[in-house]
Amino acid sequence: MLKKIFLIGNPNVGKSVVFSRLTGVQVISSNYPGTTVEITKGYLKLDKDKIEVVDLPGTYSLEPTSSAEEVAVSLLKESRKEESAVINIIDSTNLERNLLLTLQLIEEGFSVIVCMNMCDDAGHRGVHIDASKLEQLLNVPVIPTCAVTGSGIKLLIQRIKDAAPVSRSKLTHEDRWLEIGKIVEQVQRLEHRHHNLREILEDASVRHLTGLLMASGVIYAAFKFVRFIGEGIINNVTEPIFLNFYQSILGKMTAHWQEKGFWFHLLIGDLINGRIDFKQSLGVLTTAPYIEFGMVLPYVISFYFILSLLEDIGYLPRLAILLDNILHRLGLHGYAVIPVLLGFGCNVPGILSTRVLESKRERFIASTIISIGVPCVPLQAMIFGLLGKFGGFYVAGVYLVLFSLILILGIILNKTLTGYSPEFLLEIPPYRFPPLAMLGKKIYFRIKGFLIEALPVVLLGILFINILLYFKLFDFVTGIFAPIINGLFGLPKEAVVALAIGFLRKDVAVGMLMPLNLGASQLFIAATLLAISFPCVATFVVLAKELGIKSLIKATSIMVLISIIVGSLLHFIILR
Amino acid sequence: MKKISLLHLKENEKAKIAAIDSSHNLEKRLMHMGLYKGKEIAKLSHIGLRGPVVVKIGRSILALGHNVSSKIIVEK
Repeated sequence: MLKKIFLIGNPNVGKSVVFSRLTGVQVISSNYPGTTVEITKGYLKLDKDKIEVVDLPGTYSLEPTSSAEEVAVSLLKESRKEESAVINIIDSTNLERNLLLTLQLIEEGFSVIVCMNMCDDAGHRGVHIDASKLEQLLNVPVIPTCAVTGSGIKLLIQRIKDAAPVSRSKLTHEDRWLEIGKIVEQVQRLEHRHHNLREILEDASVRHLTGLLMASGVIYAAFKFVRFIGEGIINNVTEPIFLNFYQSILGKMTAHWQEKGFWFHLLIGDLINGRIDFKQSLGVLTTAPYIEFGMVLPYVISFYFILSLLEDIGYLPRLAILLDNILHRLGLHGYAVIPVLLGFGCNVPGILSTRVLESKRERFIASTIISIGVPCVPLQAMIFGLLGKFGGFYVAGVYLVLFSLILILGIILNKTLTGYSPEFLLEIPPYRFPPLAMLGKKIYFRIKGFLIEALPVVLLGILFINILLYFKLFDFVTGIFAPIINGLFGLPKEAVVALAIGFLRKDVAVGMLMPLNLGASQLFIAATLLAISFPCVATFVVLAKELGIKSLIKATSIMVLISIIVGSLLHFIILR
Repeated sequence: MKKISLLHLKENEKAKIAAIDSSHNLEKRLMHMGLYKGKEIAKLSHIGLRGPVVVKIGRSILALGHNVSSKIIVEK
């Protein structure tokens, strides 16, 4: 009786795409090894039975050599073989390497069904595989699929019931590779072709000089596009909606509001020159939606559009190669570039994906660097929105400070922490161009995730702040911290509220600075401090979960110390 | 036949792996990825400042850190 289906395969063969196709559960998939660091479960309906489908992190073999592989293998080995089937997903463009795991699975006596994925791409590259011949040699079902378009998935589901253990003698690794060589020779035909543009670009991006040139171009273009799209949405969509449409609705509402008491303060906030000012009124119905939808959401959309595109094409591992030498000096290796880039979207998935790094030491360094030196999109959007009007100089300044901080902090952590950094070993995927619908789905999924997570916190947060402000409960706290804020950082004492709210959400915190009418330099210091100091509560929880309480306290102490040092230094250099 | 470390192989040159001079775990990891004694590889590039070496093995492209590469002995 079949109860469970495991999806297993080498890293980056499209397990998560197959998983989504089988279960209808949308999960993030990208073109680099290690997208899935958690185990995802879903259900497949098979002849009226509901069967659990488990998507495992990628592994090269059944003898795990990293923590993510260990998770996959131990889960598989604990299962009851007679109640489960294993769908072994392999990359048709690289049959030879993938078959090691396939043979191991068959030898161990699992009921294996081979899903030969990316068949279309193999065809484009002149790789032709005889699936029925392979089925004959392996003695298990082999189904060619293309999961991104969905072709072959129906047949795969139909044939799950054909999976059954077959006997095959256990081999040593050397003999297994010899055996694989013989199998590949019989089933694979390579068409000899000239290099096309895609292959020339693949090659150029891993070479020293051309690689660096391409990387600078890509990073510059990515940054420009994020700003261009973000600004475009703000100027043409959100700003007109808020100013022309929403403002007049609220205006009519408030016109009939006679007594401007507690509820008015809560929902609308303060009127500036007799009018609602979305940036300064600070009401649950005014500033809260304006921050989230008017200022932050456009950048969330543009950032995830560009990031998802780079992910799916397969550019990020190439960036990892080029940055490996620098990151080694920070106690990390090239692959840490992936968690860092994800951290620029939101620190939470960034820190979660540090699981692709092997040692605890690396994970500590990467998580600390992300939570201190990497500003999330909502924070960056607010920094653009507020500091941008004083000129690009100040915005660039924030990034410069954060970037130097990452370098200095990394070098110090690398020198002082015990332990060593493991070796860099990474497979570089070919460039791929996923269907636009797949890309769109992924961006939609991420934006939905952002709204679900952010919106309640922002609305409740502003409500809570307003209640505290109304009853003047902040005065006590501002009184205590005023000497530090004012003396050390040169900020007005009201900025204490903003810094404290940074713990809740960074975008709201910057929003709290808006009514203070700070000068460019003060705003620069406050924004930088907000980026460095305490991560928001969501990041805090993930840090505690991933690192443990002891390391969290260590990371937090580093954070407080650095905030004070950087804040005072900037104040000293700029304002005096 | 000359035996040298992968670091000293020139770019765009092919060679056979003669030995992997390293801990059991690393050897195992490389073995799982298809890089083992007797296998033919081609060196694509070597990123400067102690950066990784990029090699082609069969149809895979692998990036191997500077330290890893120094432990891979090839013969040509």
